[in-house]
Amino acid sequence: MDNFIEISDITKTYWSDDGKTETKVILPLSMAIAEGEMVMFLGPSGCGKTTLMRIVGGLETQDQGSIRLRGELLAGPDRRRGMVFQSYSSFPWLTVRNNIKFGTRYRTDISRQEKEEITDHYMNMVGLVRYGDFYTNRISGGMRQRVAIARTLASSPDVLLMDEPFGALDAQTREHLQFQLMDINKSEKKTTIFVTHDVEEAILLANRIIIFSSRPARVVKEIDVDAVISAEDRRNGTADVAAFMTMRGDILTLIRAEYAHNLEET
Amino acid sequence: MHAAIYGRVFSNLLAFRKALPRRTEIILGALGFVLFLSVWHIFAASGTIRPEFLPKPISVAQAFVRLFTERDFATDIVISVGRVWFAFFLSVIVAIPLGLIMSTYRSVGAVLEPFIDFIRYLPVPALVPLLVIWFGVGEASKIAVLWTGTFFQLILLVADDTKRVPVEYIESGHTLGATNGQIMRHIIIPAALPSMVDNLRITLGWCWTYLIVAEIVAANSGIGHVIWSLRRFVKTPEVMAGIVAIGIIGLLTDQAFRYAHARLFSYLRR
Ligand SMILES: Nc1ncnc2c1ncn2[C@@H]1O[C@H](COP(=O)(O)OP(=O)(O)O)[C@@H](O)[C@H]1O
Ligand SMILES: [Mg+2]
Repeated sequence: MDNFIEISDITKTYWSDDGKTETKVILPLSMAIAEGEMVMFLGPSGCGKTTLMRIVGGLETQDQGSIRLRGELLAGPDRRRGMVFQSYSSFPWLTVRNNIKFGTRYRTDISRQEKEEITDHYMNMVGLVRYGDFYTNRISGGMRQRVAIARTLASSPDVLLMDEPFGALDAQTREHLQFQLMDINKSEKKTTIFVTHDVEEAILLANRIIIFSSRPARVVKEIDVDAVISAEDRRNGTADVAAFMTMRGDILTLIRAEYAHNLEET
Repeated sequence: MHAAIYGRVFSNLLAFRKALPRRTEIILGALGFVLFLSVWHIFAASGTIRPEFLPKPISVAQAFVRLFTERDFATDIVISVGRVWFAFFLSVIVAIPLGLIMSTYRSVGAVLEPFIDFIRYLPVPALVPLLVIWFGVGEASKIAVLWTGTFFQLILLVADDTKRVPVEYIESGHTLGATNGQIMRHIIIPAALPSMVDNLRITLGWCWTYLIVAEIVAANSGIGHVIWSLRRFVKTPEVMAGIVAIGIIGLLTDQAFRYAHARLFSYLRR
């Protein structure tokens, strides 16, 4: 496996404001992610998924360890790692189109003309062409998340980081966006880390699922979903139901065990 | 039939936490004024209170006209408005950049916040004698009073507005490749602007309070000076007319700000 992203011996501890109590969120943790791979982080809530993703995005600093992208050491946020947040992060003072175009604003690798074309491309991809002139206050939550995804893609990051991006959406909208993301993933092949606590979402979207323990986060199990159910079958809804249910059951059992462990501690 | 209609109107008026039609709002607002004026008139006309203390509303209205025809009140208004706007402008152009910097660099905020908070709690009228010693009785001291009264409030309000910009906006900026300066110009300022304009509107209102203080203490022109000098001749209707004039100017400015706000930030409407 080629190490497109290499996470080596990351640790992170938060201290309470009075500096007396420590919360160990990540103990030495290492993993590698291949180019074009869609990796889902799954685990009990509060285990440190967001923290790890934010460290990869440069929005949080690790205590120890390093993150490399194509072998290059990373420090601090930049355009190489685009982030889609759970909350709506599209800008209310810009229209849908200008929000998406904002993604190209700081790119120096393309011309003005190309910026327009890229904006159109992603407006089209997330199905918002008709809403280009709408301000984001007037569109639904699902559309706002599509704006955020399109904006991030328009900035052409090497890695897409998504922290429960569909967590605040209703079930129907969520499913719609999951399928849309599968389509995007098929055409763009963007390396993606996706945090979720929804087991079905993880199976549906992942090439690989990484299951974390309760805090401090440790990798409990990795599942190569592609090896069991092909992405094609998942996308077309032709996946073997028994295989799907078995995988779902196994994951839930693991996570329940972690939750129970968590409860014993607290 | 009629009873049914009245019943409906009446129940609408008392609808629990429901909106009213715009026209009903305006009618009710006017009704409030009429009610106030009627009560006032009844009291004043009853003769229980001497007219030197409480003239009739109509006498105040007549005095209002006299202020313009017999004295050059329009000039005083222009002078007062000019003072307010000039001092306010000086306040804004310093407070906005400083407020932005204070909320961006914690170290600057940590140095300035306690100091500004201290000054903010000093009553401005108490500073007037000092400012007169420093700046004399000319225009400078009046501008200084207004500036002192608004600047220290404004700077903290601006800092607060900027702090309230969602962290996701700023982090989005970083991951889209923006520099700190670009995040400030392209994200923080547009995001904070609507609440900043609202705070400008509110502080401009305070500016008027301090103006009258400044003009009463040391001035030979302006609305405050007119009110104060008429007091000496117990021209109560004129004094009240002067106060009404301030109210009207305040109301108009406030409405203009609200209108501009609604136009500029129409994207906030749902
Ligand atoms: N800025 C912070 N300061 C202190 N503790 C934090 C901070 N951010 C997260 N934590 C703690 O770290 C743990 C992991 O949080 P997080 O990474 O958000 O979990 P997850 O995303 O897996 O639900 C939680 O217990 C949380 O309370
Ligand atoms: Mg989280």
